[in-house]
Amino acid sequence: MAKTVTQEFVKGLWAEIPPFRLVLGLCPTLAVTKTVEDGIGMGVATGFVLVCSNLLISMLRNVIPSKVRIACYIIVVATFVTVVELLMQAFTYPLYLSLGIFIPLIVVNCIVLGRAEAFASKNKILPSIADGLGIGIGYTLSLAALGAVREVFGSGTFLGNPVFGPSFQPFTFMVQAPGAFVCLGLMLCLMNLAGKK
Amino acid sequence: MRELAKMVIVLTVLSSLSGGLLAMLREKTQDRIEQQVLEFVKGPAIRKILAGAANDPIADRFTLADGEAKRSFFVGKYDGKPDVVAFETFAGGYGGDVGLIVAVAVDTDQIVGVGVTTHNETPGVGAAVETDVGFIRQFTGLDIASGPKVTKDGGSINAISGATITSRAVCAAVGKAGDLYKRLKPEILKQLKTFSG
Amino acid sequence: MDSTIKLTVSHAPFWHNGSGISQKSYNILLACLLAVIPGIYRYGYPALGAVTLSIGSAVLWEFLMNLATRRPVSIGDGNAAVIGMLLAMMLPAVVPWWVVVIGSFIAVVIGKQIYGGIGGNPFNPVAVAMAILMLSWKNFLDFNTALVGYGFAFNPVDPLVLAKSFGPAAVKDFKLGDLLMGRQVGGIGSSFGLGLIIGGIYLMIRGFIRWEIVLSFLVGIFASALCFYLYNPNVYASPGFHLLTGYSLIGAFLLATEDSSSPVHFLPMIIYGCLGGMLTVLIRNIGSHVDGVVFAVLIINILNPLLDKIRPKALGKVAHHA
Repeated sequence: MAKTVTQEFVKGLWAEIPPFRLVLGLCPTLAVTKTVEDGIGMGVATGFVLVCSNLLISMLRNVIPSKVRIACYIIVVATFVTVVELLMQAFTYPLYLSLGIFIPLIVVNCIVLGRAEAFASKNKILPSIADGLGIGIGYTLSLAALGAVREVFGSGTFLGNPVFGPSFQPFTFMVQAPGAFVCLGLMLCLMNLAGKK
Repeated sequence: MRELAKMVIVLTVLSSLSGGLLAMLREKTQDRIEQQVLEFVKGPAIRKILAGAANDPIADRFTLADGEAKRSFFVGKYDGKPDVVAFETFAGGYGGDVGLIVAVAVDTDQIVGVGVTTHNETPGVGAAVETDVGFIRQFTGLDIASGPKVTKDGGSINAISGATITSRAVCAAVGKAGDLYKRLKPEILKQLKTFSG
Repeated sequence: MDSTIKLTVSHAPFWHNGSGISQKSYNILLACLLAVIPGIYRYGYPALGAVTLSIGSAVLWEFLMNLATRRPVSIGDGNAAVIGMLLAMMLPAVVPWWVVVIGSFIAVVIGKQIYGGIGGNPFNPVAVAMAILMLSWKNFLDFNTALVGYGFAFNPVDPLVLAKSFGPAAVKDFKLGDLLMGRQVGGIGSSFGLGLIIGGIYLMIRGFIRWEIVLSFLVGIFASALCFYLYNPNVYASPGFHLLTGYSLIGAFLLATEDSSSPVHFLPMIIYGCLGGMLTVLIRNIGSHVDGVVFAVLIINILNPLLDKIRPKALGKVAHHA
């Protein structure tokens, strides 16, 4: 149990990287990874909520009565999600438009509530922050990777810049919903292959 | 009994803190969000129509009460005179309301240009209103009160092929703009004077 | 079910009757030739090129995947060649080469090998590949634009497109006999109905494909198209037209009958086939796609595990506990 803060941080990057290892938070993973930019935006938003809610819940872990803990967690998480939503509207409006309903839906993202329940409610503040940060960055990386694959093949661009010549015929399937499933499945398959050795 | 009291207190305190924080943040970001919405939703269409204007039409705006509703008007200055005003109207299209910016020259009552802001039309069919320059250009120079119609309905506007309903919606929005303009013209002229100089 | 069924099982050694996956594959290939050769005759060298490229690349992908997964090389069983052949049969003759190569990659690698090779795939690999290609590069797979360079002696517009856009009145010039003889634009091997029917009947007689699925699929198309036709003959095309256009025949004979993605018992096979036919007509008449066969086959593939729950009772008695 005596894991160091660094270990708590690092585990989120590979050993417990959310969509691939924990297979959690799949709804935004599939829905908003049409482009790298959307993927990163979603990941950063979720990561921010994760760190803040982990911090607060860890601080309050001795105060919150266990019978109403889920309700308390939801309040905390929903507050930070609304903060993110307002900030995004105010400062990165185009990103807010393209993520749309999936920003408010971070409230019900099982990663956030899962980390609160499984980690932050039982650990000290510093490890909780490290855990939130690690998982958040891991989530961002996975969404960006999935977004990159889908954007490069599906639209022929990377971060909006064309990567292939003008004769490229976009593989439209990749930016459609079924393409997200197939792509995620293939990436999971490669992850398992890499983890096997 | 003590446990119950604690639950109630913790939940109440958490909720009110969260509510307070969000209210504060909302207060702080409201103006900016409004600005962003104008900039990114209506901005592109307005700037395109009023491309030659010497001022920033998004910044130079005023609101008028139209019965219950409040409407924003955007001012375009040409040759130092604020004589073009742009505003948004809506009409039902194939997939919900189509938002249309109509710019009118107040001295001649002629349409300077129209541009679609928000729509939910079928991609590849009705969604062409956004890009079909030829269709949009047909409105330029018409009298605002003329109530244009598509050729199928006995008018002079050539509909976008395969998207009669969307084309009708644009015509209807122009018609509504004409009504609105007629209703509010005295006040518009009054307001415009404050922008000259 | 009473116990009149007698299963006679003798002692080992058993005699293998010589049939196997490879024999099945080669028989299917043979049957396909009946439809493909007229197609090549009609569309010329590009069709020949597409067919050979499709079969060749499918076999190559299979080989590479065998190497990558360190499994015994399985190209000898001919399944990859069948996949390549079926894929080519559904494509227009002048499809760009890279579409063929990507299509065979999707079919062999994503459609089949990912699931552990032959017999493990939940979906028909060819249908998976065709669905993805159709969603991605519609313009290359659209028969009207792809085949515009040919001077045909018949109306060079896809009859299904005509019927969908302009109603059945636009396709009254297509005689059923002409459609049967392949006088319509379509895939290399999917437009010559007579060849498909003869080849399919041969395969059914030899037992390589199940007649229950084929027949119920065709009945499904016919019956549901008939309902639409009787409801409003001015809007919906006749059942015979639906049977002989698009991918109906190739779907019934060769896509729906794929082994590992179709049921094995009588009643499930009938339900599976009928549903496939009905979905095809529903997608054609109501949905937004021109041809629904590929999607219908994929949907009934999903249902397959569920349908396989309907099975005969196991032999022997089950003790009843109080």
